[in-house]
Amino acid sequence: MRSDDPSLKRLKPPKLTLFEQSYLPQILGGLFVTGRHIVNAAVGTGSLTMEYPEVQHQPSANYRGVHRLNKDEQGRVKCVACMLCATACPVHCIDIVGATAPESWTDREKYCQSFVIDELRCIYCGMCEEACPVDAIELTSFYDLTGLSREEMIFDKTKLLSVYDLTKTAEPMKSGIVAPESSHTNELYTTPTMGPVIERQQLV
Amino acid sequence: MATIIIDGQNYDLPEGAKFNAIQAARHFGIEIPYYCWHPALSVVANCRMCEIEVGSKDASGEIKMLPRLTPGCQTPVRDGTVLVTDSVKVLEHRKNIMELLLINHPLDCPVCDQAGECGLQDYSYSHGRAEHRFVEERNVKPRKEVSDLIVLNTDRCIMCTRCVRFTREITGTAELQVMRRGDHGEIAIFPDHPLDNPLAGNVVDLCPVGALLDKDFLHNQRVWFLSKHDTICTGCSTGCNISSEENAGKVWRHKPRHNPYVNDYWICDEGRYGYKSANAPDLLAGSYILDGGDHHGATSDRFFKRLNEDLTHRILDKQSVLAIFSPFLSVEEAFSAASWVKHLTNRNTMALGPVSVLGQDQTYSPDKLTGRSGDTSFLVPRPFTISAEKSPNKAGVSFVINHFQGSNVVSFEDALKLVPSNPIVIVFGGSPNSDWITPEQSAEIRKAERVILFDTTINVLADAADYVAGMATFAEKAGSYVNRDNRLQHFDAALPLRDGVWTLLDILAILRGVGRSPIESRTILAEAAEKILALAKAVGGQVPEFGLNLTGQDALIPDAGFQDDWTMASLAKA
Ligand code: SF4
Ligand code: SF4
Ligand code: SF4
Ligand code: SF4
Ligand code: FES
Repeated sequence: MRSDDPSLKRLKPPKLTLFEQSYLPQILGGLFVTGRHIVNAAVGTGSLTMEYPEVQHQPSANYRGVHRLNKDEQGRVKCVACMLCATACPVHCIDIVGATAPESWTDREKYCQSFVIDELRCIYCGMCEEACPVDAIELTSFYDLTGLSREEMIFDKTKLLSVYDLTKTAEPMKSGIVAPESSHTNELYTTPTMGPVIERQQLV
Repeated sequence: MATIIIDGQNYDLPEGAKFNAIQAARHFGIEIPYYCWHPALSVVANCRMCEIEVGSKDASGEIKMLPRLTPGCQTPVRDGTVLVTDSVKVLEHRKNIMELLLINHPLDCPVCDQAGECGLQDYSYSHGRAEHRFVEERNVKPRKEVSDLIVLNTDRCIMCTRCVRFTREITGTAELQVMRRGDHGEIAIFPDHPLDNPLAGNVVDLCPVGALLDKDFLHNQRVWFLSKHDTICTGCSTGCNISSEENAGKVWRHKPRHNPYVNDYWICDEGRYGYKSANAPDLLAGSYILDGGDHHGATSDRFFKRLNEDLTHRILDKQSVLAIFSPFLSVEEAFSAASWVKHLTNRNTMALGPVSVLGQDQTYSPDKLTGRSGDTSFLVPRPFTISAEKSPNKAGVSFVINHFQGSNVVSFEDALKLVPSNPIVIVFGGSPNSDWITPEQSAEIRKAERVILFDTTINVLADAADYVAGMATFAEKAGSYVNRDNRLQHFDAALPLRDGVWTLLDILAILRGVGRSPIESRTILAEAAEKILALAKAVGGQVPEFGLNLTGQDALIPDAGFQDDWTMASLAKA
């Protein structure tokens, strides 16, 4: 949009009185809020801090913490190594090595041989989760991630799959659709507006 | 002058052009989408993607349009031809064709290697419709192996038959065919007759979708991660124009680039898989000096200092130099190297390194009739030759040696006989194969008092030489080669220089004491063009897109530069 676009609404800053120009009302207002918190915490129940780690923080449902790699109903990694997450990631912290799926996986063509995320470089934006066409990567509510070295914070496929095992009951897969048994894998990747998939979505 | 009307605008056709509607429109920057047509193959008009409204304007100025849509690939343009490519009727038709082509399509782009350079993806986006009305069960066809190197995902095929026509019309080997008809049609090979001709890999590039895929590249990379570098194949003296595609410090594949004067749209499989030596893990990783029977790594500073001192001392003693130039050197490298040798001493002999010749030249000469299944009036058949001479620049290096020596080039065999009379032997290598020299030849060279080698691979001579300096491989350097037809072609570097080595141009600049900054190949070529008569056409180091014909004049090709890719990016560039 151009700066002289007629649909732009121009706002003028309000005129301040002499008293307001002294900034005293704002300072007093701020002190009042601080005072309210002090009194609340001292005599009331309005405490904003908690006794971590004795008391554990429960993040909200859409909190974006450590990643996990989901498994399909046969226990295989769901990821098809399309590298869309690595493409979407703004900080390039995902490294994937794709490979042709083993012969025995008759319904799969490609899978990830290696899948590594640098949890230190990650900015927890959730773009990878957004990009994944098969809901293989998700961000969990794990937030208290610690490690003694940088290497420890570079999560490989085994570690990311174990995060799934740890969190799968508490946090079921967000899409709610577990890969259905299908003779025709390709339906898995059709867009939701297309033929057979509509019916399946309505059933779920 | 022939004038045509496209979407209400007048355009003048170039002289001598025999265009169909697609070529004519593209020539003026207007896109007519197509799948089955290919500029080097006959027209079969079976995909119907290119259909447009066609008419003609007669002498009285009246325009008469054909009542139905007509395939653009089959429509010749001549004076007064009227094309309409953007009417509602045409746009709606494209949407319908896209929907039809996708009826049985698996749409497994996430696991399909073609994603990112797929004709279906691009046209779905630009000409397709977002919804899909087909609710019946899809017809799923099997995946097949058509050779050890190529897989055919029949479920993704749109039956354009480009691949079939290629094997019938260009290679004449006819391994591929259409089996069954209609919805049950499939591309197939005959049992026990795999698609294994020397040009087979081209069907992968021809296929507009992810049906034919290269197993060597399969599931390795996503194409949008690859950076493409325009370069020249070093596999033989044909000098095919290729795109070397690299990511994370490795070359992943070679693809042909169109050059009507050299390789048309093709490359051979040997060149296609020739990228592998660029990624070899055991290349020379630095500079080494032979001391007490053992090679010791030397810093560049120490290496150049020792080498210079040693050479100066010997040259003062009036020792003579035998210099051997590999046919894998670029013109610029050969010129710099020869200048340095000349600068060292006038008592020098310059010889060409070993030129390997394997078998006979193999030429495919398609014509307008043999194997053709459709209209060939728009195409100019061009031959394709795989040379027996397996090095890229014998001609260029010979020009340089001729210039400096003022006489004929000494062959490698004769050079070996000259070793006893030359105490200093300097070898400028560059071959990607470590077996370019045999142990016997190496032993012969080792008889000299001082052997100095600049090379890329660890080979028998590197094990024996007094001074060994690693240098940039064919993929790490830029410059130009002269092919078998005396065409000078520029190539770019595909990979960054590996740690611990220099390009030969930089090494020579340091040895000659003319600066340390990265040396640009173009400045050297400009210098060479001034001095060497045979290279005189490369004024200022400038080499045009399709190369420079050093000995003759190129025939004018009106459709030169019609790259066969349908991506919107390439059209935006045009
Ligand atoms: S959350 Fe964002 S930064 Fe982290 S891996 Fe995913 S895309 Fe990359
Ligand atoms: S987007 Fe999903 S399927 Fe694709 S590579 Fe990432 S995790 Fe795997
Ligand atoms: S051929 Fe094209 S549209 Fe089809 S799956 Fe492959 S990338 Fe997707
Ligand atoms: S395999 Fe590819 S080139 Fe051959 S007919 Fe099918 S889509 Fe066309
Ligand atoms: S019908 Fe013209 S390109 Fe296929």
